[in-house]
Amino acid sequence: MVGDAIVGVTANPLSGRDIRRLVTQASVFPMAEKANMIQRMLTAFGAVGVQRVLLSTDLGGISAAVLRAIGRHRDRDGIWPDVEFLEGQPIRQTAQDTIDAVRRMVAAGAKVIVCLGGDGTARVTASAVGEVPMLPLSTGTNNAFPVVREATIAGLAAGLVATGAVPAADVTSSAKVLEVRVGDRTETALVDVAVCTERHVGSRAVWEPTTLTQLFCTFAEPEAIGLSSILGQLSPVARADPNGITARLAPSAARQVLAPIAPGLIAPVGVAEIEPMRPGDTHAVDATAGVIAVDGERELTFEPGQRPEVRLRGDGPRCVDVPAVLAASARLGLLQPGRRLAGSAGPGHMPPTSPSTLRRYT
Amino acid sequence: MTGTQEHTALTRDQLLNAYRTMRTIREFEERVHKEFATGEIPGFVHLYAGEEASAVGICSNLNDRDSIASTHRGHGHCIAKGVDVAEMMAEIYGRQTGSCHGKGGSMHIADLSKGMLGANGIVGGGPPLICGTALAAKLKGTGGVSVAFFGDGASNQGTTLESMNLATVWNLPAVFVAENNGYAETTSSSWSVASDNIADRADAFGMPGVIVDGFDFFAVHEAASQAISRAREGGGPSLLEIKFTRYYGHFEGDQQTYRADEVEHARAELDCLNRFVGRVTQTGQLTRDDLAAVDTEVSALIDRAVGEAKAAPLPTAADLLTDVYVRY
Repeated sequence: MVGDAIVGVTANPLSGRDIRRLVTQASVFPMAEKANMIQRMLTAFGAVGVQRVLLSTDLGGISAAVLRAIGRHRDRDGIWPDVEFLEGQPIRQTAQDTIDAVRRMVAAGAKVIVCLGGDGTARVTASAVGEVPMLPLSTGTNNAFPVVREATIAGLAAGLVATGAVPAADVTSSAKVLEVRVGDRTETALVDVAVCTERHVGSRAVWEPTTLTQLFCTFAEPEAIGLSSILGQLSPVARADPNGITARLAPSAARQVLAPIAPGLIAPVGVAEIEPMRPGDTHAVDATAGVIAVDGERELTFEPGQRPEVRLRGDGPRCVDVPAVLAASARLGLLQPGRRLAGSAGPGHMPPTSPSTLRRYT
Repeated sequence: MTGTQEHTALTRDQLLNAYRTMRTIREFEERVHKEFATGEIPGFVHLYAGEEASAVGICSNLNDRDSIASTHRGHGHCIAKGVDVAEMMAEIYGRQTGSCHGKGGSMHIADLSKGMLGANGIVGGGPPLICGTALAAKLKGTGGVSVAFFGDGASNQGTTLESMNLATVWNLPAVFVAENNGYAETTSSSWSVASDNIADRADAFGMPGVIVDGFDFFAVHEAASQAISRAREGGGPSLLEIKFTRYYGHFEGDQQTYRADEVEHARAELDCLNRFVGRVTQTGQLTRDDLAAVDTEVSALIDRAVGEAKAAPLPTAADLLTDVYVRY
C-alpha cells in the first residue's frame, strides 16, 4: 500500500567539511550523524503516517548507512515508511547531484522536501523545489538559513504537512531570494550575496573579510552567523520583512562592526553606505572584476565589462515553519493517541516496511 | 580576527610554475601510458593523470626543508617536489642513470635531496615515514613540514591511523593528504571506507579534516596553504581529503570493467588543466601564448627524457650489491 503522503529527503555528504574547519575550528558534522538524523526522521514520519520517503543517494555514505539501518531495523523501534532510494542517476559529487535528486522528488509527487546541509545546500535545493515546500535542516557551517533543530521534531513537522494533517498553506511562507546575473549566468541566494576582490573561486568559502567590497542580504538578523551578521548588528532586517538590505564594505570605512562572519571567526568589518533593497529593484555591482559569493560560498567570477547585477525577489521557495506546524498539531490534537489524523490513516495505522522492500535494498 | 593565515594572491611566476608542473605531470603520464604499451618498460606503472591539481596544489606550498612521502601512484608527487624528470623516466625504464640507478622502478622513485622520501609499494607505507621526518624537523627546529600522500585504500590501513594518532599526540608538523580517487585498486571506496568521507576520520584524532575539490588547483592550493602554515607554526597536523578521479586504470593494463563514465565526464567537464587555463586566461593573469610556450618546453623535456632513458645502459650484475646498505 503506497499512498501519496510522500516526503523527499536530500542530504549533502560534503556539507560541514570545507576549509573553515582548518582556519577557524568550525564545527564538524560527520556523515554518521547525517545518517542518524535521517533515521530519527524516519521514525517521526512513520509515527504520523507518512507512507513513502524518497531519499537521495550519494557517495559520501549517508544513503548507504540508511540502507544498512533499514536492514537492521526492528518494528519495535518504530514503524518506518517505505524508503525509496533515488538510484540510477550519475553521482558527480557536485551540487548537480542535489538538483537532480530534488527534481526527481518533485516529479514523483513529494509533498515536502527536507534538505540536510548548510546554506549552500539549502540554496541549491531551493533552486529545484518549485512549489513544493522545503524544510532546511542545518548540518553545514554558516547556517543563516537552515535551522538547527532536532531531526525528530523536523520529521514530525514535515510528516504532518505531507499527510495533509496540517494544511501546507497555513504553515509555509515564501522566502526572499537574491538573484545575481553575470553575463548569461544567473544564481540565486537565500541569505546573502557578497562581492569580493579574490580572483578565483578556490576553496569556495568566504573567510577573508578584508576582500569584501559589497554585501546584499535578504534578511539580517542580529543573532546570525555568517556574512549577514555584518548588517544584523547595524541595521537588522527580519525574514518576514518584504525588503532586503545592501551595503558597501571597505576595511578603512569609519563605521566598523565586529561581525561573526563564520563560526570561530569574528572580524572587524568596515561598512560604508547602507541602503534598503526593495523587491524588483536592480542593484549594480561596483567592482569591475572579482568573485561573487552566494550564501557564503564563492560561486561566480566576473571580469571587466560584465557588470553583474543583483535583484531582490519575494517569490523564493516555500519553507515549512516547524513551530507553526507543531502548534497547529497541538491545537488539533494530532499527536494525541485515539484521535484520528485529519486526511490520513493516522498514527500506527501504516504497515511496517515490508520484507520484500528490504530485500530490494540489502 | 582569529588565527587565520592571510591568503595572498598567486604571482604570475607562481601561476606559470604551477601550470608547468601540472602540464609536465600530464605529459609524463600520457607518454608513459603510450610507451608502456610497447612493452619496453619493465614492471608495473600506476598513472597519476587527472590528479595533477593535488600534487601541485600541495607541493607548491612546500620548500626544501619539507618532506613528502608518496604512494605506488607517485610520479606526480615526485615531479611536483622537484625530482629530475629525465632521471625519473630513466628509473621507470630501469636504467643506470635513473633516480635510484634503475634498481627501483616506478614504485620506488626517491630523492632525499629533494625531500622526496619515496614512492611506496606498500599501501599505507608513507604516513609512518613522515611522522619520522616531522619529529626530526620538530626536534631540530628546522621549521620543516612533512606531508604524506595516501589513497582511499590506505586510509583503511592501521599504519595510517596509527600515524595520525601519533602526529596529534606529538603535535607534529605534519599534513595527511588523502587522495580519494574513488577506488582502492578495483574496490569502490564508497563500499570499503566505512566513514566514506575520509575527512571524518580526522575528528577521532582531534585534528581538522576538510574535503577539497581535487579538480581545482586553486582550491587545493588554498587549503594546503592553511594546513601547511598551521603545521609550520606549531599548530599541529591536519587531514585534507582530495576528491577526484584518476584517468587511467589502477595499473596500466587494468581493463576497468568496474567503472562507469566518470573518466569521460571528468576529462570533459572537470579537468584540472582545462579549468586552470580557463581561469587564468579569463582573469588575464596569463595569456594563451604564455601557456603555449610552456607546452612546447614541456613537450621537449619529455621527448628528451624518453630518448635519454632508452639510450641509457641497464644496471649490471656488479650493481646488485651497491646501494644496499647505508653508512651512518
